[in-house]
Parts: sequence; C-alpha cells; structure tokens
Amino acid sequence: MTTPAPAAAKTYDLSFARWVRDNVNGGDKLNLCMQCGACSGSCPIGVQMDYGPRKLFMMIRAGMKEEVLSANTQWNCTSCYRCVVRCPRGVPVTYILQDLAAKSAEFGYAKGPHENKNFAQAFWWSAATFGRTDERLVTMRYFFSLGFGEGFKRAMANLKTAIGMVKTGRMHIGLPHMTKGRKGLKAALAKAREIEQRN
Amino acid sequence: MTEKKTMTYYPGCSSQGSGKHLDESLRAVMPEVGIEMEDIEDWNCCGASIGHIGGGQLPNLTLTGRNLAQARKRGTQDVITGCAACYLNTHGGNEKIKADVKKKAAVNEALAEAGMSYDGDLKVRHACEVLVNDVGVEAIEKRVTNPLKGLKVAGYVGCQTVRPFAGTEAGGDYDAYDDPSFLDDFTKACGAEAVPFKHKTACCGGSVAVMSPDRTLHLMKAIVEEAAKEGADVISTPCPLCQTNVEMYQPLINEKFGTNYNIPVVFYSQLMAVAFGMDAQKDAALQRNTIRSEKLEGMAKKK
Repeated sequence: MTTPAPAAAKTYDLSFARWVRDNVNGGDKLNLCMQCGACSGSCPIGVQMDYGPRKLFMMIRAGMKEEVLSANTQWNCTSCYRCVVRCPRGVPVTYILQDLAAKSAEFGYAKGPHENKNFAQAFWWSAATFGRTDERLVTMRYFFSLGFGEGFKRAMANLKTAIGMVKTGRMHIGLPHMTKGRKGLKAALAKAREIEQRN
Repeated sequence: MTEKKTMTYYPGCSSQGSGKHLDESLRAVMPEVGIEMEDIEDWNCCGASIGHIGGGQLPNLTLTGRNLAQARKRGTQDVITGCAACYLNTHGGNEKIKADVKKKAAVNEALAEAGMSYDGDLKVRHACEVLVNDVGVEAIEKRVTNPLKGLKVAGYVGCQTVRPFAGTEAGGDYDAYDDPSFLDDFTKACGAEAVPFKHKTACCGGSVAVMSPDRTLHLMKAIVEEAAKEGADVISTPCPLCQTNVEMYQPLINEKFGTNYNIPVVFYSQLMAVAFGMDAQKDAALQRNTIRSEKLEGMAKKK
C-alpha cells in the first residue's frame, strides 16, 4: 500500500503527537524513535499492515491523526513483543500499538462489525461478568457479534474443533467458571473506569 | 535445587479450559522438583493482551491488582504462573504498580471498592524461570526415572514466555529473546532429543489467530512445517495459547495449503511428567491432546 503523504496545502494537526505522548500508554517514549525500522522488519505480520510501526510513528509526528487512527496496523499486532526487545531506543512499540487500538475503538475509528474490536469486547464482557474468560461464550458472542449469518457460518466451521475440545475435556458443558467475589470485582472495575475518566 | 519452596500459584482461565493439560501437568511435576504451589484464592482473569480495549487501561490493571491483593493474603512468597499471557500481565502489572506511585494509588482506590488493597510487595514469576533459576536443569534431570529415549522434540518457546521480560532483572534474567535454550535443556534433561528448530520464538498469531485464523495460518504453517522437516515426533511448548493454536489449526492449515500435517503439540510439563515416571492421564494429561502422540504415550507409565 502507498503511504498517504501529508498534503502540502493541508495544515497539520501538530497537537496529535503531543496528544499521543500524553494519552497513549508508552507514548511518552515515542520521541525516542529514530526511524531505523527494526520494529517493522521484526514484525511477524508487518506485511499485512497498512503501515509498519516505523511508518505509523512518523505519521503520528506528521500529525496525520485520521490516517493513524483508522489504520489496521494496531489491529494486526499479535503482541509478540519482538519489536519491543529489538528496539535500540527502548520504545515500547507493542504497548503503543495496543493502546492505539483501544483509542481507535474509543473514538469510533473501528467501524461496523470489526473482528478485533468485537473480539476484545466479547472478551472483556466475560472477564467483567464472570471474573473469568469463558472460551466458549467469548467465541460464540464474538462470532454472532459479526452478524447472524456470519456467526452461524463460523460456528459451523468450528464445530469439529469444538467437539475435539469437549471430547478431551478442554471445553466443559454447563455454567461458566466464575470468580466468587464478582460483586466486589465489578465495583472495583467501575471505580477504575471512573478514575480513568476523571484524569 | 537446594530446599523446598512454597509459591502462590495463579492458574489463569485457560487452566479450566483449553490449557487444562498445562495446569494438570504443572501441578504434578512442580512438587516433584521441590516447588509446592498453593492457589491464589478466588482468582480472576488477567486481561490477556486485549483486556484494555474493551475495559480500559486502569480497569485492566485492576484485574491484576485484585489477583495480587488475593495472593498477598498468603504472605510475601513468590507468585508463580505457567501461562505466558497471565505472566505477562501479572508480572508487567506488578512492576508497573511498584514503579508508579500514581498507578499504585489509583489501583488501590479501585480495589478499595472490593475491600482489598495491594502494597506491591510480591514478585511474579514464570514457571519456566523458576525451573531454570530455583530448581536447575540438573535437578530436573536427576528426578528423571523414565528417560524419553529416542523421542524427537521441536522446542517451540513462542513469544510471551520470553518477551519482553526473560532478559530483565525483574524477570529473572534467565534466557535470551530470540534463541533461548531453556526449553531444549528441559527436553534433554528428560532424556529426549531436541531437534534444531529455527522457529523457536516465531509467533503463532496469538489472539489474532483465535479471532481470524486466515490472517495467521501461514505463521502456524511455518512452525509445523519446520518441525515436520526436522522429523520431530512432537512439538513442545510452554504457552497454552501456542499449544492450542498450533494443535487445533492443523486441519485448517492442511485445507488451505494442501498439506497433511498431524504433529502432536505438548507442554514441556507433560514431557516431564512422563519422564518422571508419573501417570499418563492423571499427571501427564496426555488424553487431553486432540492430536495424540502414540510414541510418547507408549513411553508413559500407566498406573
């Protein structure tokens, strides 16, 4: 994919890099990036990204907010941390991408049935509701969040795998496993959300 | 190994689902090499690599805060976990809470709603790091009564077990990020043969593989392909997500690439349980693999 170059006539949103520094986890280290590309070169699925991390970071500096927040880069990160351990400048690349994904979702850039966003939401629903990840429910909730037809298709395609997991006792039948102190956990999570929004 | 130690064990959600055989085999082998494990009471999910997207950064960190508050009730003994994602979140979150007074205060303000608090006094460790640093490979070898002679093992470490903490002081500084040796050392200690394996720390796709396998099947194919080329009888891994992904997606890989792979993917702790002469089912949990290894099962003791 060709990188959208900042148009000469356009006025850049220069506050974006500063916003990333102040609001994105690890963003305070972004100014250490020297554009060497060790991150993009190390990335297992960098070729599937709109832009590798190196390019994305330069786009942040150029103030290309729309392009950055609507990129698929942050959503393709598999969290392998190879870029983090290889970065000669100590930029926490994975953490920055992970939080950019959260910001993209928060500000409505991940539109429609969005695989990563929907999966993350199904995951959090289980963690916050039961205190634990129920792999069965997360998967089904995720599948059907993509639409009924798509959900049905994916459920059918995974039927054989699911049966194998049930047979080996790695998927149970019945109620989800739950944390007993769910009430307290929910209250703590709500408070954490409140604190985060206050700051 | 010098003395027996007791640690607080965080099993994590996969221990009750797809990674049950990691949990069962760890519980079996760790006490055999002197590490007693007591569960964190009423633990919760760690948030894995995506919790912050649905929940937000601080709520995600609060999940770890609650687990550590519960662990702290048992005293200041080390927290141990076998799951890569649990380790990453719990260890990483713990270090964050220790280093950042503001975060620590915020987490504690949230935890107060559940009548809990965490002072940052614990150390969170990966089971593999404990095996290397506290137990020692020689002690593992010494415990072996049923060496896995002739079993060829491709040691697939994956990503998050070693990255980004295996080379840090807080992470126990026990191995390298790209070419770690601990897993092959475990294999050899069990009397098996470690085949050369360049994809040792290649990524399987992690949670992206779970939500949309099409994007990452080629990554898993490369891993299985090399293991097959090297003549491995089994792939061994420490990570529950790697184990499930690389095992359960082999039929899809075959469908997409016209291949015919069917290689068992087991945990290092399952190999240890067999090599320690423990029970094939109760301790090594070999019946939980969807691709079974006849060769390994043939070596296992049945009680």
